[in-house]
Amino acid sequence: MLSRVAESLFWMSRYFERAENTARFLDVNFNLLLDLNKITHVENPSYWVALILVTSDKDRFNTLYDEYSARTVTDYLVFNKSNPNSITSCIGLARENARSIIESISSEMWEQVNNLYHYLQNVTPQFVQNDPYGFYKEIKNASHLFQGITDNTFSHNEGWDFIQIAKYLERTDNIARLIDVKYHMLLSEAQSQPELVAGSEDIIQWMAVLKSCSALEAFRKVYLSKIDPDNILRFLILDRTFPRSINFSVCAAEDALWRISGSSRHRYVNNADRLIGKLEAELSYTAIEDIFATGLHNYLADLEQRLMKVGEQVHLTYFAYHTPEIESTDIEEALPFTGIAGGRANWSQAQQHQQQQ
Amino acid sequence: MIRFFERYEAETAQFFDEVISKEGAPRPHYDKMLHRFGQFSVDDIKARREIVNIFFRNQGITFTVYGEDEGVERLFPFDLIPRVVPSHEWQIIEKGLIQRITALNAFLNDIYHGQKILKDKIIPAELILGSQHFRREFIGVNPPLGIYIHVTGSDIIRDGQGNYMVLEDNLRTPSGVSYMLQNRQAMKRAFPVLFDKYKIRPIENYPQELLRTLQEISPASRRDPNVVLLTPGIYNSAYFEHSFLARQMGIELTEGKDLVVNNNKVYTRTTRGLEQVDVIYRRVDDAYLDPLVFRPDSKLGVAGLVNAYRKGNVTLANAIGCGVADDKVIYSFVPKIIKYYLGEDPILENVPTWLASNPADLKYILANLDSLVVKAANESGGYGMLIGPESTVEQQENFAEMIVANPRNYIAQPTISLSRHPSFFNDTELFGCHIDLRPYVLYGKTVTIVPGGLTRVALKRGSLVVNSSQGGGSKDTWVVDE
Repeated sequence: MLSRVAESLFWMSRYFERAENTARFLDVNFNLLLDLNKITHVENPSYWVALILVTSDKDRFNTLYDEYSARTVTDYLVFNKSNPNSITSCIGLARENARSIIESISSEMWEQVNNLYHYLQNVTPQFVQNDPYGFYKEIKNASHLFQGITDNTFSHNEGWDFIQIAKYLERTDNIARLIDVKYHMLLSEAQSQPELVAGSEDIIQWMAVLKSCSALEAFRKVYLSKIDPDNILRFLILDRTFPRSINFSVCAAEDALWRISGSSRHRYVNNADRLIGKLEAELSYTAIEDIFATGLHNYLADLEQRLMKVGEQVHLTYFAYHTPEIESTDIEEALPFTGIAGGRANWSQAQQHQQQQ
Repeated sequence: MIRFFERYEAETAQFFDEVISKEGAPRPHYDKMLHRFGQFSVDDIKARREIVNIFFRNQGITFTVYGEDEGVERLFPFDLIPRVVPSHEWQIIEKGLIQRITALNAFLNDIYHGQKILKDKIIPAELILGSQHFRREFIGVNPPLGIYIHVTGSDIIRDGQGNYMVLEDNLRTPSGVSYMLQNRQAMKRAFPVLFDKYKIRPIENYPQELLRTLQEISPASRRDPNVVLLTPGIYNSAYFEHSFLARQMGIELTEGKDLVVNNNKVYTRTTRGLEQVDVIYRRVDDAYLDPLVFRPDSKLGVAGLVNAYRKGNVTLANAIGCGVADDKVIYSFVPKIIKYYLGEDPILENVPTWLASNPADLKYILANLDSLVVKAANESGGYGMLIGPESTVEQQENFAEMIVANPRNYIAQPTISLSRHPSFFNDTELFGCHIDLRPYVLYGKTVTIVPGGLTRVALKRGSLVVNSSQGGGSKDTWVVDE
């Protein structure tokens, strides 16, 4: 498979997953605020700032808006085109990547990403405000449909594995961020308002975290009604069977990487395999107490770093097809790890406009 | 009965109308179609228009107009009424094109080898040697089977009497064949009922024929030659077509950065290392192919590609340097070229052409700018054109200056009233729109033409320019057995 094609599959999948996760955060936040309506005001900025923290975009957000509110945060995360992580941007980028490899994916996959793109072009802020639940559901379903179409219309060979790697790396990263931010918020509240943390609001907040991972029902089946933070963290980080837990996602990414390279347990052939194998092995032998001993925030920050390293190694092993001798160095620097989102797509744009007969 | 055609004004005194004869009656091969369209209501047509629009949008069949805001993707305008070409007319086109393309290939082979035609003074040598598409570097290079122009798309028009004439030969990277194929698909979805009334010759085998042609010109004796398509990239206006053809043929779609040359062999970069390439169907202009030989700033090409080609390790389709034969000046010599190499009279006529490089012609051109069509010799896509009767005095003066400054670069032709075909402007009314026809000719071991082509429609009322970059659209084209 062409390296460029593999890379575009990777980014197409990654951006689609990112859009879905953003829709999940926003959806759950709305629901949460409705639940909390009696205790706190819907426009309470502290519930909206968290969403910006999850996406590590505080600085960019502040240059664009004056306040954290339902309106500004929704606009930023759903519509804003200067935010590369907004749902509209992500689906636009997923489509650009798909478009550049349209002959390699199935036409059903293309139609799905293209449909969603056109759907988003017609959505207005008013529409989302009137029916947030319906809108986010549409995005989530579109993503599920895309994955189902991919599984059923696209050969399960190397290209499919790159799609899986991207999906699960992105998902792991998102779960880690979500937990980190939620925990951080609760901790700071515990210091200012200790009576709330022990109460029902705390439980509702943690249920919201589970819901945003579609994990509430699965969690209940394992832990019955014992909704306490330790169990929730144990489930979201260490459960091996739930598809939106960190451990499951890392295993799935590892499987896909090993299928591509032909690696097996105890024998790796490249650094991407080695790093993901190490991560998976550690997760398998970690107890929630170990995580608390490290400190949850430190643990998650370290995890995010390591996921990034895995991504870099995937890039170097399979996608880095540039030849420095014919491309100037400043372009080379702008290239790594961006997919079509980065500078690469545009630098030859003018020349591509050559006349056609 | 014929509701939509009741108010249709064919204006047959001024134009050749494809559907309505001079006597005002429908031509026989359109009888059944008019009858069918007569049964449709405005709502029927609107519903079918919607089916077609969804089909094109879902397929991503859009094109980009340069010079407008980025990201402006438009649906390629499609007219719902198909054009019907009866098989006895098609036979003339087919024979004429095979003759013409065979002669032009012989001409290219001669120009890049003995140059006999220049020595015999059939064509002034300075016109060839001074052409910007003449590639001195390729004299003596032998492409497999001696073929230079593997894929061509000649533009054919009809004059006031309905005679088919060639307006232009596109021998470099002709585009539009994907629209020909998709237009047929769209019609099948929207109007299945029309199809059972006609014996329409199929065109769906074009991608297989193209692949066969490309495999036949492989340089290696390798049993399964590795064929790739080289595209400028996703921002090219014909990108959809490049990806569509690659998918239909099951070959890799590559950009310049996917290819690398080592030891005069071309390879693709894959997740498993390098794989050798035998044939490149390139949709990149000569000038961008190889930064070491042509434009050094090219980001679209492959360094070393030209040497690999000269060594015979890879075949390019079409060959480098074909532009010398589809130049609008050389166009005027094609009847002589056919006579010289084949000893035959041309089956398809040329449009009369005056060369500004010829002093007598130049005088005539400058005196008649308000009635002639003036074209730059090396432009395509409807750019660099002056349509006399539609131009302002200022535009004419501008062109006069440019022509005098560089006569070799300009030709002029009479303003031909292209034939007209009824087309929907909105979905309620029909107007006569000017059309042309671009059949696609494949040249491997044999010359093959799939029956049909892309009929382009000038959808601006009264406009004569059919290029998609200038607001033109297209319609399905049926070659029918009677």
